[in-house]
Amino acid sequence: MKIIVADDSRLVRGIVEKIVVSMGFEAVPAANGQEALDLLEAGGIDMVLLDWNMPIMNGMDVIKTMRSDESFRQIPVLMVSTESEDERIRQALEAGAQGYLPKPFTPEQLTGAIRRVLSMT
Amino acid sequence: MKKILGIDFSPKAEIALLKILGKDAYIQYEKFQETIRIGDNDMVLLWMDEDQALVEQKIGKLRCACNFQNIPIIVMHDQPRDIPSQPYVIAGATEVLSLSDPAPACRNIINGYLIPGREPLPEEKAYLDPFIRNTCHILKTMAGMDAVFKKVYFSNAIRIFGDVSGIMGLSGNSEGTLAVTFYWDLAKTIIARMMNTEEDQIDAELIHDGVSEIINMISGTTKKDFVGKPHHFEITLPSVVVGPGHQIGYFQNTAAAVLIFEVDGQAFALHVCIKPKSAAA
Repeated sequence: MKIIVADDSRLVRGIVEKIVVSMGFEAVPAANGQEALDLLEAGGIDMVLLDWNMPIMNGMDVIKTMRSDESFRQIPVLMVSTESEDERIRQALEAGAQGYLPKPFTPEQLTGAIRRVLSMT
Repeated sequence: MKKILGIDFSPKAEIALLKILGKDAYIQYEKFQETIRIGDNDMVLLWMDEDQALVEQKIGKLRCACNFQNIPIIVMHDQPRDIPSQPYVIAGATEVLSLSDPAPACRNIINGYLIPGREPLPEEKAYLDPFIRNTCHILKTMAGMDAVFKKVYFSNAIRIFGDVSGIMGLSGNSEGTLAVTFYWDLAKTIIARMMNTEEDQIDAELIHDGVSEIINMISGTTKKDFVGKPHHFEITLPSVVVGPGHQIGYFQNTAAAVLIFEVDGQAFALHVCIKPKSAAA
C-alpha cells in the first residue's frame, strides 16, 4: 500500500514516514499540495496524509481537487494539522477528508488514525 | 539585598566599585571561566579586558549562562576615553560603564538595572497559561521530553539571545508575534528525540525545520484554546531566524512576555507578544 505524506516540514515528513513504514506501508513524500497532486496523477496511491498549511497549494485545496476528480475521489485522506479548532475539523471533513488528526500526535495516535481511515474504505 | 557577580575585577577595580555601590549590594568576585554559572545573581559586572574580541566572547558566554533570563550584563572599565558600546551590546551586554564617570551617575545606572521586573497580572496569566501548557504538551507528545516552566518576565527589547528562533506572525482578532528560541545544542537534542534518531543524524536544515514546526504546533494548539475569546488569532506560515543576538520585531508599544522553560537541564524561551485588535487600535 502506497501512502502520500504531504507536509512542508521535512521534520514532520520524516516522523510520519517512519510511522507509515513501521506499519508495513510505503511512504511517498510531498513538500506541498501541488507535489501531492502530481504524485496522485502518477498513479498507484492508496491513501493521502495531508497537512493543512503548506506553501504553493494548501491541504484543503488538495482535498477539493481530489473530490472533484473522478480518478481520485475514492482515495482516502487523513488530515494531519496543527489547525485543531472544531470549525477547521468540520470544514476538512465536509470537504471530503475521512479523518483528522491534530498535531502534536504520538506514533500510536497516528497509527490508530491511519487504521481508522483505511477501515472506512 | 541584591546579588551581583563581578567578573575579572582587579583589587583596585573592586575598591572603586565598592566606593560606587557602598554596602547596598553583595558582590561576589570571580575570574571568568568557560563553564561559569550565573546562579541567583541579579546582575553581572564584567571588567573590560584590553582585547575587545575576547570581551565579546566572554559576554556571549555569560549571556548564554543567563539561560534567557533578563539579567543585566554591564561591562566596566576605567579608561577616561569614551568607548563605543555597540560591539559589546551586540555581543549581549546591557551597558558599558566607565568608573571614571561620576560615581552617583554610575550608581544610578546600576541601581536602575537592579529594579525587579513586574509579575504578570491575572489577566496576563490567563492568556499565558495556555501557551505554557501547550508548549510542555508538545514536547512531551512529540519528543517524550518533560519541559518545566520556570519563570516569566516582560521585555520591550527586540533582541533575542539564542541561536535559533521559530517565529509565527499572528493576525485576525489579535495581532502580534510568537517566537520560540533555543540554543543550538538543545534544538538538536529535541529534534533528534522527535525523529527518534541519533543527534549526529540531525543537520542544520532539520533544526530550522523542526524549530519552525515547534512554533507552528504551539501556535496551532493554543489558537484552539482562544476560540471565542479576545486573544483568538489566525496563524500564518512560520519562519526561522538563526544567529546569536538576532532581532524580532514586536507589535509597537507592546511588551513581550518571555516564558522560560527548562528541559534536560537546558533552557529555552517562548516570546509571546499578542494584543487583541480592539486594544491595538
